[in-house]
Amino acid sequence: MSESPLRLPPKPKPSPWAIALSIGMVVFTVVCARTVGFSFSGLIEDLGRSNPVAQGLLEISWGEMFSERSRRAFLETLQMAVLGTTAGAAVSLPIALWSTEVGNPYRIPRILLRSFNNVVRAIPDLLWAGLFVLGVGIGALPGLLALFFFSMAVIVKLTADTLDGIDMGPIEAAKASGASHTQMLRTAVVPQILPAYSSYVLYDFELNLRASAVLGLVGAGGIGQRLDFFRNRGDWGKLWGLVLMFFLVVVVVEWLSVRIRRRLV
Amino acid sequence: MSSMSASPPVQLPSKPRDTFKIVVSTVFVVLFGWSAISVDIKWSRLLEAPADMYRLFKAMYSDIPWDELSRLIGLMWDSIAMAWIGTLIAAVFAIPLSFLAAENLVGRPIAWVTRQVFNVLRAVPEVILALLFVPMFGLSPMAGVLAIGVGSIGSLGKLFYEIIENIDSGPIEATDAVGASRLQRLRWGVIPQVAPELTSFLLYRFEINIRASSVLGVVGAGGIGGVLADTVRFKEYGVAGLALIVVIVGTIVVDTISGAIRHRIVAGRTIDIGEAQKYVVDTGGLS
Repeated sequence: MSESPLRLPPKPKPSPWAIALSIGMVVFTVVCARTVGFSFSGLIEDLGRSNPVAQGLLEISWGEMFSERSRRAFLETLQMAVLGTTAGAAVSLPIALWSTEVGNPYRIPRILLRSFNNVVRAIPDLLWAGLFVLGVGIGALPGLLALFFFSMAVIVKLTADTLDGIDMGPIEAAKASGASHTQMLRTAVVPQILPAYSSYVLYDFELNLRASAVLGLVGAGGIGQRLDFFRNRGDWGKLWGLVLMFFLVVVVVEWLSVRIRRRLV
Repeated sequence: MSSMSASPPVQLPSKPRDTFKIVVSTVFVVLFGWSAISVDIKWSRLLEAPADMYRLFKAMYSDIPWDELSRLIGLMWDSIAMAWIGTLIAAVFAIPLSFLAAENLVGRPIAWVTRQVFNVLRAVPEVILALLFVPMFGLSPMAGVLAIGVGSIGSLGKLFYEIIENIDSGPIEATDAVGASRLQRLRWGVIPQVAPELTSFLLYRFEINIRASSVLGVVGAGGIGGVLADTVRFKEYGVAGLALIVVIVGTIVVDTISGAIRHRIVAGRTIDIGEAQKYVVDTGGLS
């Protein structure tokens, strides 16, 4: 309102932390690009060449989508995903409870359990499958075991994070009315996280369905074995047929799962 | 008084019946039963599995070939580099596309079409993409980088447009009010609000992609996963055991660093109240 000229505050200088981080990121990116031998010209050159995969796209084998053997492989993939998710989900709830402060008052076991889960989480699905194939032989069993551990890692992590942020009111109420630890968990904690937990289980099922399609590449059953077979024969038309079919299955399952999850939460 | 004490006994409302839950659980039980019965697994083998795994671990760790360690660390570094470059490639495509998928920035039809693109890209696992890319780009890390790049566009785009749809509409209205063009609106009304979270999700996706890139070698797309494929072929258990340790340690180290950076980006710098107060007083002419 007065005559005094408008004085803007000086622009804050970027913190040394931000500068260091930006420089670090750029250096990291350059080093990484050199490691993988990234080059645009090479990329364009490769894309320009004719290759069997793109040609296979022109001769997609639609019959392969519904052939007897492929159908059985798809069913096996679905079965492994259902069983692996269920088994993983069953052990995940107690483990998640034991690895958080609300469910487990003892510090040392809690830290041990969290570290164990971090190790399990660091091993990718296909590596689990490879391990179990080496251990128990090829077939659906190693695939199932791999999905079990993979599911456990995913669901425990997400559920434990949810448990860290729950409302403490009901817990206090349960304790005040003299509930035992188990009763407290049953009545004050589990009902709070159950919708989120169910939603994570469904999300994990989607992940598992996608994962179980590739487990066969290392011999762990399911559609991946057929993919590997056609890849080794260089039969790209049939391989594209399977990929398309798989794509349809995933889209349908995800559509259903999203519907259900929306109702749950 | 007497009317209060004569109130009827407490009647709890009957529990609501949720048909939706009943249907979902029935379908699930049927699906589970069918899977457990008809899957091609001899369940008795499950009991032998622990003994089998114990024997495998003994074969892996009884004689660790430490001289392989530097080669394996080099391969793990390849995997990390593949994951990072792949994540960046995905971001280059996902960020502009996610603006087109946010309903508060563009019309509904455009947003719907863009989202379907994301869904298609999200559905195919990286390993299958790598399988298709290897004949195109050769047995090199480049095939893996592109598999990760293409495979991450969908999920990054989905996370990004969800962030963008949750922004405060105030700054957008403000830019509109001063007559900003569409591009200026994006630059000053949207990007400053979403940048920290976008960066954070980018790093989170990088953590996920490390897990993917460390197995892509199974189909010949570079990185440490190739060791796994070789082990199965040549029965080199010692190398596989060491590679497993390298993968776990490498992944956890990157997770920890990236997690710390993410936390710092989202939490931001703690502002000194006294310093902030100085600027408020400085702008006295404004009020």
